[in-house]
Amino acid sequence: MTSTLSQQLMFAQALSAMLETLINQFLRYNLYGTKALKPLSEKTLTVKLAELPFPLSFTISHEKVHVTASDTHNDCCLITSISTLIEFKKDQQLTDLIKNDKLDIQGDLKVAQRFAEIAQSLDIDWQSELAKRIGDIPTYKLGQLGRQLLNKFNFARQQIQADASEWLVHEKRLTVTTAELSYFSQDVADVKQQVGALSQRIDDLIQQPSKIS
Amino acid sequence: MLINLKKCGKLAAITVNSETMMSAHDQNHQINNDKNNENTTHFGFQTVEKKEKESKVASVFHSVAQQYDVMNDLMSFGIHRLWKRFTIDASGVRPGNKVLDLAGGTGDLTAKFSQLVGREGKVILADINSSMLNVGRDKLRDRGLVQNIEYVQANAQYLPFEDNTFDVITIAFGLRNVTDKDMALRSMYRVLKPGGRLLVLEFSKPEHELVNKAYDFYSFNILPKMGELVAKDGDSYQYLAESIRMHPDQETLKAMMDSAGFEQTSFKNLTGGVVALHKGYKF
Repeated sequence: MTSTLSQQLMFAQALSAMLETLINQFLRYNLYGTKALKPLSEKTLTVKLAELPFPLSFTISHEKVHVTASDTHNDCCLITSISTLIEFKKDQQLTDLIKNDKLDIQGDLKVAQRFAEIAQSLDIDWQSELAKRIGDIPTYKLGQLGRQLLNKFNFARQQIQADASEWLVHEKRLTVTTAELSYFSQDVADVKQQVGALSQRIDDLIQQPSKIS
Repeated sequence: MLINLKKCGKLAAITVNSETMMSAHDQNHQINNDKNNENTTHFGFQTVEKKEKESKVASVFHSVAQQYDVMNDLMSFGIHRLWKRFTIDASGVRPGNKVLDLAGGTGDLTAKFSQLVGREGKVILADINSSMLNVGRDKLRDRGLVQNIEYVQANAQYLPFEDNTFDVITIAFGLRNVTDKDMALRSMYRVLKPGGRLLVLEFSKPEHELVNKAYDFYSFNILPKMGELVAKDGDSYQYLAESIRMHPDQETLKAMMDSAGFEQTSFKNLTGGVVALHKGYKF
């Protein structure tokens, strides 16, 4: 009757409580309020992620999202991984994901799509929310600082990427250049074409004696 | 080893050491003691008349009702919220279910159940203590939870509901305050629907000796002082610590649930056994 360590530490419950608080705070600050939740009232979406040993169920009730770590009841169940879940919003990829066994959907697909729509429609005016708490001028200054930091971060990221690629290609010659890759691809295509032509010629030659006879 | 004796239509349990079996004389003596003990019970470490315990427990909860939630957060460092979440996750509650939150106090479980059972479902928040029930009702109403909740002042031993009424019954941190636990369990069994389940969340016996010692020190030295400081009532929190020690351990409570008629009973230790969640079904 002893329980596992994660069960004793109630990791699932801590995570579901944290998610519930975060989601509902986000919805509180959403410019469109909680209107989007109404069509999903009393609907439950269960997500079983490969990375987690327990399911997470999202139920909408009283204009709030309730998160539980159980799957007793649901209207739709997604069995997938975190990386696939991020791609889920792109409708055109849905069939591919299912075909490639990256996603399994049980139940009403519309429920899952509506949950994804809500996530996409979240629009939060962080500056306005922050200004309510710390005032307009500090918010403006903080926003300016944030943008500067973001620009610097993006520049540094691009620079590091370029430097790393330069080092790998030219200094260490661990990888090939784009031009080399292109030449190689072209060579492969040429060989493929030649093999095709040769194969065609062999077929013709095999069939020739039978035509003569 | 537990032996159940059927006498006067009631089940009585006496503990017998299997290595030194009692003689007939000793057994008669034990039964006579049991008859004397039928009218007494424990209130913390004190032995009191059964009828007296109810009023003593009532006065404890009348006293702490207003500060109950704050003290719960302080005493458990907020972990009681996770214990309760664990109970809800284990309840298997679904829309349309009828739930009885027994000894529901300030309504933590009721709030969550109310949102999960939906409009078609119903949650009854029951507590023997009117002060706790009032605090719970005010709290839930302030949160806008009014649609599917009913409030009932009820004694767990004599539940005022028809047989086979509820899909789920929970009693969180309440059973140890009940005067006759066996009777309360039988009463819960009666009002549970076939297929329904009972979940008992209660303080229990820590699994490791080191945890047990640390827990003892915390319970008897720090807890009453915290109660004195925050709720201005150290005695009530001294009772809390004592009542936890007097409460049956995991296996004993499981056996009590079996005796009451529950099937597939099991328990899960949480936080090293400081708290245990017992679950049993009625089929």
